[in-house]
Amino acid sequence: MNRNLNRMEMKRNSLSLFLWTLVITLLISVTMSIYPTFIENQSRIFGMLNLIPKGVLQFKGFSDLNDLLSPMGFYAANNVIYMMVLGSIYAIVLASGILLKEEYNKTAEYLLTRPITRSEIFLTKLAVVAGNVFLLNIITSLAGFIATGLAGNEIIRLRPFLIISIYTFLLNMFFAATGLFISTLIKRSRPVTTFSIGLVLILYFIYTLSKISESVSKLGYLSPFTYVDQKVVSPDYSLAPGNLAYFIGISFLLIAISYRLYLHRDIYV
Amino acid sequence: MFNFNPIATGIESDFMNEPVIDIEDLSKFYGKARGIDHINLDVHAGEIFGFIGPNGAGKSTTIRILMSLIFPTSGSAKIMGMDVIRQAKEIKRKVGYIPSDANAYQWMGVNEFLDYCLRFHRIQDGRKRVDELAKLFELDLTRKISDLSMGNKKKVSIIQSLLHNPGLLIMDEPTTGLDPLMQSVLFELLRTENRNGLTIFFSSHHLSEVQMLCKRVAIIKEGNIIRVEDIDTLRKKQLKKVFIELDEPVDIETFNISGAENLSLVPGNKISLLFSGNISDLIKALSGKRIKNLTIEEPSLEEIFMHYYKV
Repeated sequence: MNRNLNRMEMKRNSLSLFLWTLVITLLISVTMSIYPTFIENQSRIFGMLNLIPKGVLQFKGFSDLNDLLSPMGFYAANNVIYMMVLGSIYAIVLASGILLKEEYNKTAEYLLTRPITRSEIFLTKLAVVAGNVFLLNIITSLAGFIATGLAGNEIIRLRPFLIISIYTFLLNMFFAATGLFISTLIKRSRPVTTFSIGLVLILYFIYTLSKISESVSKLGYLSPFTYVDQKVVSPDYSLAPGNLAYFIGISFLLIAISYRLYLHRDIYV
Repeated sequence: MFNFNPIATGIESDFMNEPVIDIEDLSKFYGKARGIDHINLDVHAGEIFGFIGPNGAGKSTTIRILMSLIFPTSGSAKIMGMDVIRQAKEIKRKVGYIPSDANAYQWMGVNEFLDYCLRFHRIQDGRKRVDELAKLFELDLTRKISDLSMGNKKKVSIIQSLLHNPGLLIMDEPTTGLDPLMQSVLFELLRTENRNGLTIFFSSHHLSEVQMLCKRVAIIKEGNIIRVEDIDTLRKKQLKKVFIELDEPVDIETFNISGAENLSLVPGNKISLLFSGNISDLIKALSGKRIKNLTIEEPSLEEIFMHYYKV
């Protein structure tokens, strides 16, 4: 890893990290501030929620509306989506741009003509992506933990929080690996931001659709969101080895392929 | 043999007998499209070597392979005896590069960018050199790169290429955006650096620049190097520029002789042409004509260049 490049990239991406973290933290805080009002008006709200198809609730990980009454259940139902979807968008946009930006901004002719190998460039940029995604996850999870504790006015169990945070981080890193892969796959350098965001949203849509409709439930296997266990209120909630293997295995594979492609890529500016 | 200080340039004695740039049968194809096709080229230590050709001829492709930005389809290229692919990192410690597009990191300040470049070379006392070059080019180091004009961005690009005291400088259109005054400052600096041992590989469209600075030149056409010549030899080729003024209407068929090219009729019974044949054939063709004026002169490098392109 090259310390000079790492320092530059961390600085370049600091504002973006700050803004994304701020937005997700604010969304979580605002949502959790509604929790006391929700508890006060639970019978009226439950009346409305009963009109929602059961599948919609199930896809959020609830077998029972009463799950929503616990602060943790409320947090999971409302906030995990911010961290999963927004965090994944952040990760894929960051990762897909970190190598390509040097090409379409024409700075690659300065970076690649320094005494630094392509391997060092790739690994340094990968470390920056992982570091930024990790920081985003740590800060937003911590904010979620504190907001949930304050909203419920009780001590929140750490274990489910840790598990859902690990899942979210792995999902975000999965999309980061996908972003790197896309950027090394395309021949001509151009921004792939729109495509990357679209990919996250489409995969989330597929996941949602598969949970709501029985007839297309198998489509869900195509989406990485399916492999995030969101049943945080379940007493035996844990990290499923199969899901972990899926995230780590595919992410590693995508990164390894991207690495090979980048080492042999013709850089056009 | 290198005629510059190997200690300053970091070149080991093993490489002393090798050319600074050694290109052998180098080809690059983009799918079926030709980039360069089996080119061979040597650039010797201490040379200022010109590399000229129009857009799409393969100049940038060659330079990008030398800087390992792109990979050759076949053939090999070495810089200071090192393979440009396998030993790219080592090479870049000793090579400075001025890209044609001077787009440094827009969000950085000039100072910040130059410090960033210096840190890659682990140069601790580079500030003195930065200040010296900034003063020479009248560049304000406190400004942000995005606020700079194209010419000033080029100055930043030039400065960054020389910070680590390279043994070879590769330049792709280095004068683009520079005003004539700064161009002469650059050329003077390059001459000084060359006297101190810097080998220069200079790619340009501007033949007048090449003519002013370079000792040898390679002309590249459609991916092939068609000539490598000393500038002086190129000038001394048999190619002559001929102006004839007759006291009678010009019959263009008179000049239908071997070696006559670029015939151009000028109002007033005048004709100009480039002539690369035997001059006595021309004189013979003109015998019996009422010649009012006849001038034979050295063509400009531009004209020589254009002549080769018609080959």
